[in-house]
Amino acid sequence: MSDTLLTSEARAMVGSTVPQLRGTVYRKEFQRWARAVNDHNPLYFDEAYAQAHGYRTLVMPPLFLRHVMHDSVRLDELRPDGTGGPSALDVPLPPKRMAGGEQTTFVEVIYDGDVLTADGVLKDLTEKEGRSGAFVLVVFETTYRNQDDAVVAISSHSMIAR
Amino acid sequence: MSDQVHFEDVTVGDAVPAGTETPSQLQMFFFSAATYNGHRIHYDHPFAVGVEGHPDVVVQGPLQVAVIARTLTDWVSPDGRLVSLSLQNRASAYPGEELRIQGTVVAKREEDGRCLVDVELTEEKGEGVLLIPATATVSLPRRAPVGTGA
Repeated sequence: MSDTLLTSEARAMVGSTVPQLRGTVYRKEFQRWARAVNDHNPLYFDEAYAQAHGYRTLVMPPLFLRHVMHDSVRLDELRPDGTGGPSALDVPLPPKRMAGGEQTTFVEVIYDGDVLTADGVLKDLTEKEGRSGAFVLVVFETTYRNQDDAVVAISSHSMIAR
Repeated sequence: MSDQVHFEDVTVGDAVPAGTETPSQLQMFFFSAATYNGHRIHYDHPFAVGVEGHPDVVVQGPLQVAVIARTLTDWVSPDGRLVSLSLQNRASAYPGEELRIQGTVVAKREEDGRCLVDVELTEEKGEGVLLIPATATVSLPRRAPVGTGA
């Protein structure tokens, strides 16, 4: 037992890299996402329209990016709250997770059919005191590249664990 | 989206056309499916309320964020695009609550041949409950010079 949520074991993991993720951009997947957002932008649905505006083919909605990388998970490997699966990086942290914030630079347009890689690093762990008690702010930074090895986006995500 | 907004059309202090969304449990189901998200707090009411102490199932943070991005891309598409988005998740939303996105142009600049516009946004619900403060940069096309036949 300890009076801090942030163990030295967790602290030692700052700077660790996440095993590289790969994902192919499939129009059907990002179109389902766009419909779920009520985002009916023709750049995501009408290839001729996209090409008429100078795009190579259908454009991926920029905020779909992180979802391209999801692998399938075994249901018996999920955490009790239904999240997870084999974690990219198993940092020992309190179990209750909430989104903290994000900052993404979209460097290049991402297209249907692109093959992306994501290289992540555990950037920071900070213990903070909030309205409902102590929590740990977890920051990951991820660099996304396409099949031409061009950086298409750089994203920093924070998560609250309490 | 037929009327393309151009860099010249935008002035610091301008409002971005507002966005709204009122997520339903049906929409939240489709969003969890589309994002391969099994987190129980978004669909398992006894779990969300009884185990984690939420008042109801919780609207997905990435769905809250996606409607901010949609508000921006609806404004600048098809020839402009979202260049960066930075935000903080401050509060949760629940199904049936209206999410309102408002934005203001805070700067215009040219960088590496691109025409960039910086925007500050908020996503709110209810009586001004701040869900997400955000800043974004979009790129916009310039109007073709007079006489080019465009």
